[in-house]
Amino acid sequence: MGSFVIRRILLGILVLFGVIVITFTITRVVPSDPAAQWVGPKATPEQIEAARIELGLDKPVYVQFQKYVAGLLKGDLGRSLRTHQPVSRELKNYLPATIELVLVSTIIASLIGLPLGVLSAKRKDEWVDHFCRFFSVGVVSLPTFWLALFLQLIFYRILGILPMGDQLSMDIKLLYDIPKITGFLIIDCLITGNFVILKDALVHMILPGITIAAYPIGLVARMTRSALLEILGEEYIRAARSYGLPERMVLWSYALKNSLGPTVTVVTLSIGYTLVNTFLVEAIYSWPGIGNYVATAVISLDYPAIMGVTIFSACAYVVLNMIADIIIALDPRVRV
Amino acid sequence: MRRLSKIKKVSLLMVLLIITSVLFSGCGGTDTSGESKQATKPKIAFYAFDSIPLLNWDPSVEFSNGVIVMNNIYETLLKYDPKEDKIIPVLATEYQKSEDGLTWTFHIRKGVKFHDGTELNAEAVKFSIDRTIKLGKGASFIWDPVEKIEVVDDYTVRFKLKYPAPLDLIAASAYGAFIMSPNSVTSEDWFSEGREAGTGPYKLQSFKMGEEVVLAKFEDYWRGWEKEHFDKVIIKKVSETATRRQLIEKGDVDITIKLPYEDIEALKDHPDVKVVVGPSFENLFLMLNTDKKPLDNKLVRQALSYAFPYNDVVKYAMGGYARQAKGAIPHGLWGHGEDLFQYTHDIEKAKELLTEAGYPDGGFKLLLTYNSGDEAEKKAAELFKAELVKLNIELEIRGMPWESQWEMAKAEDPNKRQDIFMFYWWPDVAGPYTYLYNLFHAQDEIFFNLAYWENEEFDKLIDKANIQSGVDREKAEKMFIEAQEILIEEAPAIFVYDKQYVRVLNKSFKGYKDNPAYPHVVFFYDTYREE
Repeated sequence: MGSFVIRRILLGILVLFGVIVITFTITRVVPSDPAAQWVGPKATPEQIEAARIELGLDKPVYVQFQKYVAGLLKGDLGRSLRTHQPVSRELKNYLPATIELVLVSTIIASLIGLPLGVLSAKRKDEWVDHFCRFFSVGVVSLPTFWLALFLQLIFYRILGILPMGDQLSMDIKLLYDIPKITGFLIIDCLITGNFVILKDALVHMILPGITIAAYPIGLVARMTRSALLEILGEEYIRAARSYGLPERMVLWSYALKNSLGPTVTVVTLSIGYTLVNTFLVEAIYSWPGIGNYVATAVISLDYPAIMGVTIFSACAYVVLNMIADIIIALDPRVRV
Repeated sequence: MRRLSKIKKVSLLMVLLIITSVLFSGCGGTDTSGESKQATKPKIAFYAFDSIPLLNWDPSVEFSNGVIVMNNIYETLLKYDPKEDKIIPVLATEYQKSEDGLTWTFHIRKGVKFHDGTELNAEAVKFSIDRTIKLGKGASFIWDPVEKIEVVDDYTVRFKLKYPAPLDLIAASAYGAFIMSPNSVTSEDWFSEGREAGTGPYKLQSFKMGEEVVLAKFEDYWRGWEKEHFDKVIIKKVSETATRRQLIEKGDVDITIKLPYEDIEALKDHPDVKVVVGPSFENLFLMLNTDKKPLDNKLVRQALSYAFPYNDVVKYAMGGYARQAKGAIPHGLWGHGEDLFQYTHDIEKAKELLTEAGYPDGGFKLLLTYNSGDEAEKKAAELFKAELVKLNIELEIRGMPWESQWEMAKAEDPNKRQDIFMFYWWPDVAGPYTYLYNLFHAQDEIFFNLAYWENEEFDKLIDKANIQSGVDREKAEKMFIEAQEILIEEAPAIFVYDKQYVRVLNKSFKGYKDNPAYPHVVFFYDTYREE
């Protein structure tokens, strides 16, 4: 087990190094002048030359790479070409909002997807099953941006019961001191017991949360259904049933528990996917998270920011993959 | 096993929490009455901006959209009203210039306080402009004519210039002309944490970098708060056009910009919304590569100028919210020549000119680059392409990020550059020189002179006109117009259109006046709510 984990970690580091090399190369190959970006669209040649020296762009590429990696080890991701702020500080500002959104939508996905999958498996080939399957395929294939706009149209524009976007209402932002302890809004509200703000924050989370949860809901439902069906055909289930155990106990306690492995893996991996999915959704909901940040960075070719987010996403993927592998390895049936 | 049940418990708790809070809220949105700390609700103005509201908190450096925030926090010595061609006193009450245009004396307003409580005086003015010049960043180049700044007495400042220049217009620039408190600004990076030291009507209350800025009124503002004003101002990035449209339709924002023209058409009849169309100083150029065959031939360039479908582009690419350009200076800005020659769409004439140039059957290929993501530029390019087909000229259209297309334009070898470079220009100092000098004056290095055009007569004329503008602006204007005659005859660029700004306002949002010299700036002090 120990050697397995160490092997996974070493492999993860190798993958990350690969990502750094590739993103660094790509950002250097793309025709662009970072120094010109640094000083803005209407600068003088002298200003651009000064920026080139300030940014170390006059040095050879391998020196720049060395400097970048050395900085990276100290947690320094360079400065954004657009805002001139350290990228690491900006990531710290934007990440909590995104992580909160991703976690909430993952919880929503598990809460809806899991029962749906169980129901579907229990009533295999009945109309409930057909409906659940149709539903789960449907939500997986809905384009996220379309769903986001659709939900806005219904719940904000027509019904007027949910806010359009953003993390908090303007009134709340202006009239209250927003607690800033961990940077995670919901947690900060819970710590300080600030329920007015908490309520507002949760209401604002509904639409983006559902939008992002749509894809994993379908995934979880389908995975649960097929894993459960396989287990339900096993000998020991038949044995349990023949002992006269109540069906509910057989289903939820014997079968579901044993079929959770693949579902947990799927949920863990879908967090990585969800993270990328937020890029679009955040722009539509004006959500002050990392997706919104990187969308602007890409449009303006702000390569230190793009690299920062890429490296973060790669880290998240590697870690989540590792967790998924370890969870599977923990299952005594898989252990060798 | 036990760990799993813990996770279960935690997630169950979270879920219960979410459900109960949602139930309690009744999905009611934002009702905060009763619990709010303030007795009366502040009057709030909300500006949904399409992009990041501000990049840099340093008023000496910020040279981007940040002027929409800066112009509410800071003030300049003067302001310029291009519609009336009038200089409006702000922090300077009056000013005089010497006969030769080399010495300018400004009298500073008394009783003005900075947000940190410091009194405005001549020292502060000298400090601010010296600092901007010394840092040499952003729009600092507008102060190039200044040789030195002298403090005559507490409320008088004298500028000595190296050469005559319209210092009143420079002091009224939307960028790089802000006055800041010397008591606060103690180091070069004092602003970097997000601080301000202005005299403007609004103070910085809070901000989230790259997302939003919240301003609150400055109680000691020199013009006072007797009339109707907003207490707070929110400027927020809402990048999705669909989101901006819904917000304005619902009445949740007071002003927004840059909506697609289809949306604007639909919003025109909306009862709670007002669409305001005004001139802008942004105009679109097609810079022709005069260093490369066949565009090194004046006749070919003229032929292309005739082949361009101006009316269709204004109608279909800009939804009618533009005017065909006349020369290089946009309508409404001094230096614009209403009597200048204007090319019209005339394919026959283009054919004649091509024949005369030795290309009777066209038969060449051109590469046009535009700023990717700009729909109007793309449509304009497509429409142009369709016309060029009629002349048997093949036009390749390539959308590129601005930086990349600019890199290409600066290539050593003229043959590696694009043939046609499409881009907008807008002024830093309101006047014709910024257009004519940056785009068409010969330069040692390629920069914005992306037609690579050189004409000694033209250069001499605009340089002379620029110096003249510090002494006698009317005379200078005539010279600038004369220079444009050369430009139009030589046709190093196609002058496409002058953009019009379209703002969508909430009907209850009053007092807004568009000033194209300060692009996209809303001077919130002048605005108020009328229910």
